[in-house]
Amino acid sequence: MDELIRSGSYVALQLPSELLKVVEIQPNITISLGKFGAFQTNNLIGRPFHVTYEIVDKPSRDGGSNLRPVPAAELHELGIGDTTTPDEAVIGNDGVDFEVVDTEGKVVMRTNQFINEDGANQILTLEDIEALKKADNSAGKDVIAKILESHTSLDKKTAFSLAKYTLRKSRKYMKRFTVLPIDVPVIVKWVMDGKDAPRIMEMREETLSLVTSWSNVHWGGAHGNESCNGLGQTDHNRWLVVDEISGLLVAAMAEQMGILHSRPRDSMSLSEDVLRNVAATEINGISESHEESGRTKESDPIRIQQARIHRQELFMSGTTNTITLVHQNAQPNLSLLTYFGYNTSDPDMNHPLYTNLKEISFLQLLHPEEDYGYLEPAESTPEQLKEMKSRQKSAYYRKRRRWQRTKAIVEETRAGGFAGLAVASAMTPASILHTLVPLLRGGAQIVVYSPTVEPLTEIVDCYSKARRSAFALAENPVVPCEEYPVDPRLLIGVSLHTARSRPWQVLPGRTHPKMSGRGGSEGYVFVGTKVYPAEGTIEARGFRKRRKLDVSTNGTQHGSPALQSELPHTESQSEVDMEVDKEVVSLIDNAQSTVGD
Amino acid sequence: MTTSSAISRSPFLNYTKTIEDENLALLYLRRDIQIPIILNAQDRDDEGYHEGKVANTRFGSFPHSTLIGVRWGSQIRASTVDTGSRGRGKRNQKRKLEDEAQDSDVTKVPVRADSGFAHLIPPTPENWTTSLPHRTQVVYTHDSSYILQRLRARPGTIIIEAGAGSGSFTHAACRAVYGHGGKVLSFEFHQPRYEKLQAELQAHKLDDLVELRHRDVCQDGFEGSDHKANAVFLDLPAPWLALKHLTRPGPLARDKAVRICTFSPCIEQVQRTVGDMRNLGWVDIEMVEITARRFEVRRDRVGHQEEGLKGVNSNAASVDEAVSRLAEIQKRMIHGDDEERVTKQCRLAKIKEAQTGRKLHIEGYLTHRSEIEAKLHTSYLVFAILPMEWSEDDEVKAQNQVIPDPKKEKGKKQIRRELRAKDEANGNAE
Repeated sequence: MDELIRSGSYVALQLPSELLKVVEIQPNITISLGKFGAFQTNNLIGRPFHVTYEIVDKPSRDGGSNLRPVPAAELHELGIGDTTTPDEAVIGNDGVDFEVVDTEGKVVMRTNQFINEDGANQILTLEDIEALKKADNSAGKDVIAKILESHTSLDKKTAFSLAKYTLRKSRKYMKRFTVLPIDVPVIVKWVMDGKDAPRIMEMREETLSLVTSWSNVHWGGAHGNESCNGLGQTDHNRWLVVDEISGLLVAAMAEQMGILHSRPRDSMSLSEDVLRNVAATEINGISESHEESGRTKESDPIRIQQARIHRQELFMSGTTNTITLVHQNAQPNLSLLTYFGYNTSDPDMNHPLYTNLKEISFLQLLHPEEDYGYLEPAESTPEQLKEMKSRQKSAYYRKRRRWQRTKAIVEETRAGGFAGLAVASAMTPASILHTLVPLLRGGAQIVVYSPTVEPLTEIVDCYSKARRSAFALAENPVVPCEEYPVDPRLLIGVSLHTARSRPWQVLPGRTHPKMSGRGGSEGYVFVGTKVYPAEGTIEARGFRKRRKLDVSTNGTQHGSPALQSELPHTESQSEVDMEVDKEVVSLIDNAQSTVGD
Repeated sequence: MTTSSAISRSPFLNYTKTIEDENLALLYLRRDIQIPIILNAQDRDDEGYHEGKVANTRFGSFPHSTLIGVRWGSQIRASTVDTGSRGRGKRNQKRKLEDEAQDSDVTKVPVRADSGFAHLIPPTPENWTTSLPHRTQVVYTHDSSYILQRLRARPGTIIIEAGAGSGSFTHAACRAVYGHGGKVLSFEFHQPRYEKLQAELQAHKLDDLVELRHRDVCQDGFEGSDHKANAVFLDLPAPWLALKHLTRPGPLARDKAVRICTFSPCIEQVQRTVGDMRNLGWVDIEMVEITARRFEVRRDRVGHQEEGLKGVNSNAASVDEAVSRLAEIQKRMIHGDDEERVTKQCRLAKIKEAQTGRKLHIEGYLTHRSEIEAKLHTSYLVFAILPMEWSEDDEVKAQNQVIPDPKKEKGKKQIRRELRAKDEANGNAE
């Protein structure tokens, strides 16, 4: 991500009200912030982020700046009021007689005993304030000063309420904004604070961080040179994602993999492995592009490849650090990626996602033969090609390329070997996991986000110890069925999490949690690890507490409830004098059915 | 960036298709029992087992030879290992005898045990956090994930971490910054902890990603690395003492915004830290607290059919059930005991018998509740940002910059149209 505000990119403006406004910084335009004023984009382009500006004037015609960067010290004045440290500050110790006094007569704090807040204390009328605002050229500071001056009982206010009053008025009239770079947490905050939270299924910032870290997503190395360092066994870093939150999950995963923010063109535009991959397919004669553009043979292979690869062939062609998005409609909704410079209707080929984000529908994954895009378009003979007009010809190649791309993605996805799976979808988790877990490699992490807990308790229950035991004892269980929506042996370490952040106000003598926050859904995260069950019969082993024999032994079924989601080891605390549980796990050989195997 | 193409050798970051010797793996026994082991085909410590190096667990013994070379995630059967007759004195005696008998001591092929198994899974910062040897209070996943996200730790980030403690955050930070030249600059002032973590990082093959230094940063600062940080995490008793060392020029990147997080359990620490941050020019100061919960999901079974069974509620499941039981008793009281009365024993036996035919795994209410050990408070997290340095010269330069106007430039579509025309021209020429 760039450190300077770039022309043509999106930024977030943080207003004094703490709300965000996302704007596109096109050059030579004026951006209006309503009552806060307006400014020219050219006065922001090329400047650093995180600076707070004050709009001191109307935007000038000659392009001069009406923005004043506010120094940090001045920013902090606002909340603190005075500079006394908490140790020195005896609250309200200024000789006024309506105070809370301790047993020794020492002033503890002032109270609001004699304050009547009926709105009559403010002598300025609405019209007065409007007039002040119009005449103001001090970025709102004069207005706020006048408002404070005109408050008749200001001197009676406690230190607390005075600071609060000042802060509230400042937030309303201060003409300031801070420029923030667009990244995933900023987008989350912006969408959640706006009216659009359902668009991202009310995903909180702290829940999203649980999703990305439990998924174990990370950059996986550039694999173009894997033979050089003796790591030939290394597996590629490919991730499966089901995203029904407008591309936010894709963005979050991509951000952790280092493929979300486009980098300066020279260093990152095309990764080497992609080029190698395309080069390899060309050599194998799979590609048609050599007819069109592959003519030159020069010394520098990479540069030559780069020159002659058609942009369509690069599209979704990455081999490592890729995200494969499985979607339920013909086209996925990835609208939030626009703010990261990736517009799916007109993708920029210099964006890392151009090569590293792949799309496949559930139909293409499960029944590719029923998908139109998977059907091979008729191949033309060289003679026919010669007779085609150029437009027909390019249409012909475009079609062929699109088909090849679909076919390649379908095949590689069905071949499996994915490093992990992240899901944020309203579909039944069991149906998704049944379909996609077999495509994961052993040890892969699975995370499923849900705004509400119920769908996730259901899927946790599908992998419960009781379910697993029953599955092992069942004769030829068919998956999926009502009793076994998923193969319960394929995940271990199944757990359910939630996290909640609680912001605080930290001011001298006035430190406390913020009074209000966002309600709505809590947000829950399901976590599991993909494993391969051993073939044949396995008995679990475990140590038991010795108990008296008066308890009825009742088989394997009702484990201690606290442990029901655990592995068969801890069968139940009611077992009697047994060191070995007679639980039989997995009689059926590796039932990694469905696609993938 | 030359480092960007190097693939880490760490099992945390680099996934090999099968489990390799000398690597860290986790023996998963239960969610709360995951044993980290460094695989060792040679048995360097010579622990005296016939099968070579063996991992002994309460669910069976696993010779390393049965673990190396399998694919990740495999369910591994326990082996029968003679753990009893390996007494120190005995062993030495025995070995002496054996050495004489057969010098080329061949390790025994492990014999599969009747029961016991474990799953072998790759290490992740999350499962390492739950299984690592605690030397200090560790930073748990819900905190570290949120902190790293707020610090914008991602491939290429240079992050300072002080103090490293048990290394839980170090591992999570490694995963986040790995790639595009990312590095963790770690500091620990406690000598034994520093040494242990250094050894651990080497064993985990993360030492090329982490620069670990033994130093008290509050006194001696953060200098010494060629890398300049753009993220800072301070898990120190007095973070405000370290703040003054975070300077430009100094350990912080001049041309980048720097984000910081301090991690302190007490509110007084927070107040001092925030006060000093304000004086040192940090902006956007915010303090939050993360509370996290893990849930236990289970099926709650209620009803008379559960009588005598464990872990269930055998009270009446409904008013109807209660009434019919009451009526039965009242009937007996009214009409006196008769031979039809079922004894309690008999009833229990029936219930037990019926149990085998029931599908208990899908019966009852599906419920969830917080797990018993709730973490109510870990630490307060203070976040702040130091914007990149921006001099008046920089500002003058920015004012004089020529900003290209896209309206006067060729549009994307136009460029594409022209390219296509060119392509077609070439196609025709052929």
